[in-house]
Formats: sequence, C-alpha cells, structure tokens
Amino acid sequence: MNIHTRTAVDAIKRSPFQAVSAIFVMTLTFFVATTFAVLLYASSNSLKYVETRPQIIAFLKKDAGETKVTELQNKLQSDVRLKDIKYVPKEQALEIYKEATSDNPLLSELVSPSIFPASLEFSVSDLMLAQGVIEEVGKEEVVDQVGFTANIGGEKSLDEVVNRLKNISNYVRIGGLVFVGVLAVTSFLVLLVIISMRMTTRKGEVEILSLIGATPSFVSKPIVLEGILYVVIGVVVGWISSFIMWLYVSPNILSYFGQIPILPKNPVDFFLLFLIILGIEMAVGLILALLGTMIAVKRSFKKVR
Amino acid sequence: MIKFENVTKSFGRINALDNVSFEVSDGEFVFLTGPSGAGKTTILKMILRDILPDSGKVFFGTTDITGLAEKDVPNLRQQMGIVFQDFKLLPERTVTENVEVALAVADLPQEEWEARVKHVLKLVGLSNRAKLFPSQLSGGELQRVSLARALVVNPKIILADEPTGNLDWKTAEGIMELFEKINKEGKTIIMATHHEGIIKHAKHRVVKLIDGKVEKS
Repeated sequence: MNIHTRTAVDAIKRSPFQAVSAIFVMTLTFFVATTFAVLLYASSNSLKYVETRPQIIAFLKKDAGETKVTELQNKLQSDVRLKDIKYVPKEQALEIYKEATSDNPLLSELVSPSIFPASLEFSVSDLMLAQGVIEEVGKEEVVDQVGFTANIGGEKSLDEVVNRLKNISNYVRIGGLVFVGVLAVTSFLVLLVIISMRMTTRKGEVEILSLIGATPSFVSKPIVLEGILYVVIGVVVGWISSFIMWLYVSPNILSYFGQIPILPKNPVDFFLLFLIILGIEMAVGLILALLGTMIAVKRSFKKVR
Repeated sequence: MIKFENVTKSFGRINALDNVSFEVSDGEFVFLTGPSGAGKTTILKMILRDILPDSGKVFFGTTDITGLAEKDVPNLRQQMGIVFQDFKLLPERTVTENVEVALAVADLPQEEWEARVKHVLKLVGLSNRAKLFPSQLSGGELQRVSLARALVVNPKIILADEPTGNLDWKTAEGIMELFEKINKEGKTIIMATHHEGIIKHAKHRVVKLIDGKVEKS
C-alpha cells in the first residue's frame, strides 16, 4: 500500500462515522439515480411505443375499386408527413375482430368479412399534423370515414393519450432530475464538509508536509483518494441495490405492460442497460468527488499557507 | 550557498530584520544567535521561503528565492533539511514512517526507501526505535527522528531552529555531536540558537543578531 492510500485508510479508520455517513448519502443518491434512470428509460420507451403505433385509420367505402385504393395508398406513401402505411383488407379486419373477441367466440360467429370495411392505417411523423391529414384524407373519393385509431371505441383520441404519456414522461423526467439533483447537491455538500473537517484535523500535518517540501498535490492525494473511495462505494452499493430491486419487480412490470417493451425482456439487454447507467454514474460520481475534494483542499490550503 | 543582501522585514511596527547582509559558504556550520525576537527564525523562514522580505534579496546558490514562483517553492524546500525546536513529527506515524514521509515528498523511488531509512536511523542511533510512535520517545529521541527526516533526502543544507531548545544539556550535547558529524560529511548547517554553552563548545562561525540587525558575522 503506498503512502497516500495508507494515509487515506488511516483517516477513515480514525473517524469511521464520517466515512459511514458519506458512504450512506452517496449510496442513497446513486440508488435513487439508478431507479430514476430506469424509470426514465421505461417512460420514454412506452411513449415511443405508443407514438409508433398506427395512429390514423381510414375506412374505405365498400364499393371502392382496387385501382383507386392502390392509387390512394401510393399517394399516402409519397406523403413525407406519413409513415408505416398499411392496407388492411376485410378478411384481416375480421381476424383482428376475432382475436379481440376471442374470449367470447359467439360474437365472432355472428359476423362475416363483408360487414367489415377494408381500411388504410398509417402514422404521422408529428402528431401536430394529424388533424390536417385527417381532413385531407377524409375528402378522398374512396374514403368513408377517417379518424384516430383510439376513436373506434369512442374513448379519448390518440393524441390525448400520447399527450398524457408525454406529460407523465415529462413529470418523471423533471421530478426525477430535481430529486436526483437535490440528492446530488446534498452528497456533494456532505463530501465537502467531511473533507473540510479532514483537512482541519490534518492542519498540523499539512503545515509540516508543506515545510519539508510537499507539493499541494502530494498533500491532497490522500484526501482525493478518500473522496473517490466514498463515491465508488456509494455508486456500486446504490447501483447494486437498485439492480436487485428492478430484478425483483421487473417480471411483474413486464407482464402488466404486456406487449409494450417498457423494459428490455432479454436478460443481456437488461444487464447492458444497467451497465450503461453504472458507467454514467461512476463518471458523474468521480467528477463530484474530484470537484468536492479540490474545493475543500483549496480552501484549507489558503488557510494554511 | 546562502546569501542575504540588504534584507529588511517588518511585521507591523516591529522590525524583524533591518538591512541584513551575510553569506554562508558550502560546507560551513553557522550559528545564528541573539536574544528572542532578534530575527533568527525570520532568517530561517526566509531561506525556506515561508516568508518574503519587504526589501532585499535572498540567494540559494545562484537562485534569488525572493522571486521564486509559488509552484517552485516545494522543489526549493526539498533541497533543504529542516529541524524544528518542537520536532514537528507526525504523531500517528511510526519513526520509520515519519522518515519515509520526506522520501515520499521528494518523490524518491520506493525501492530506495528501506536502505535510506535504515542508514539514517543508524546514523542518529535510533535503529531500535524504528517501529515506535513519537509518543513513545523521549525529547532527545524525537529530535533525532526530526534530524533523520531532514537527512534522509541527502539535502545540501540543514536548517535547524533551536534544535536543543527543549532538551537537557546532556541530550543537547548528543544532538550537537550528530550535527558535527553531519557537517564533517560536507553538509552546510545553519543553526539558530541562543544556547551560549553550545556555541562556545562548538567553535563555529557565529552571526549575532540584535533587534533585527547583524551585530557580528
């Protein structure tokens, strides 16, 4: 063990409660940060999922000729505002209906493909454009009715759903960032106070070292090491705690959200997501530690020298 | 090696040094003497560049240390060994570790540490105290550790500020013998002391200060 590590370890041994409180605050911060990072990922994933679903459905007239339908499909495909254009024939519409009413086979037995209109489903690149597109498509000769897909059940329109999701996502983002930010500032201040206390208790030692020719970096190395140690332990313990928690709750979350890929279903991707979070947290933590110790050391040096 | 050129320093209304000029050559043993407040410690602190003069220049070799940049001060101090009246040892470090600190500060390779520490501890007669802490040592032993720490980096000059001030006569004599031995090996020594007995006994050059002025050099 080199002299700086030994000094840092001795300092921790001398005042273990300071070390424990620093590690505890760091752990709490990074536990919350990891948890919010995953929540942020999940909310943005669910939003992306909803946004990429077919948003507009144009029911075609029963007597619409195949040529005219193809013409309309081609026209929609060449429109840059639209994407994922899909033709759903009567037979497929029946299949979708059957699937949706699979728990009550009697309902599907009563219908035939002829009562379902064929349709064209598509999404818009920006939901703001949706209303204009609906109006334009509604004027087409072969189109009977056009609207948001969610309108079929008579519930809220899709843009409302998306807006609500966007709001939730923003609340998670802003709330999470504020919460994590407050915790990060608290951790930073705790680190600053502990390191400043350490510098005060080492005042005599710093004076001696300075007189025998120690550079400021020599004096501050053990302090910086100590700060880094607190942050690394805090990040790892906080991250592991959050990882275990998500491992525990993720099967329930995944089954609740069904098809919506709110969290990675593949264990490798799931672990990779957490690994990326760990990397970012470690980088942020190290910056916090370096900044905190540098400020504390610089302030103490001014007093000593 | 050391040259003071018309150096003046005041602390408020008190003139600590008043137009002080003197030189110390390589390998010389010089006593700085005079009553308390005469300016002995101020001179040592200026050589260490712990304080700056109001006017005049202080040379270490050919370098004017009054104009030295802050970042170069550690390097200057690493070329000097310093012994304090109050020892200034690290209380939570063993004798060996206290000496090793100087080697770490000078950034000397760790492979050399053991041999160097053994050598200086043998020189000051503390080989059997290597594992002890300062609180387990006598005053004379503490001063020997302080001297060992100063010597271990093989400095060009040793600055000693009242090194026998806290010691009884017999112990002080032992410490002085060590300083004599070190000086004979070619080290320059500047020792601040008001211990008349030591000065008379050692028979080295004396720079006498009275009220910040050099009365005899």
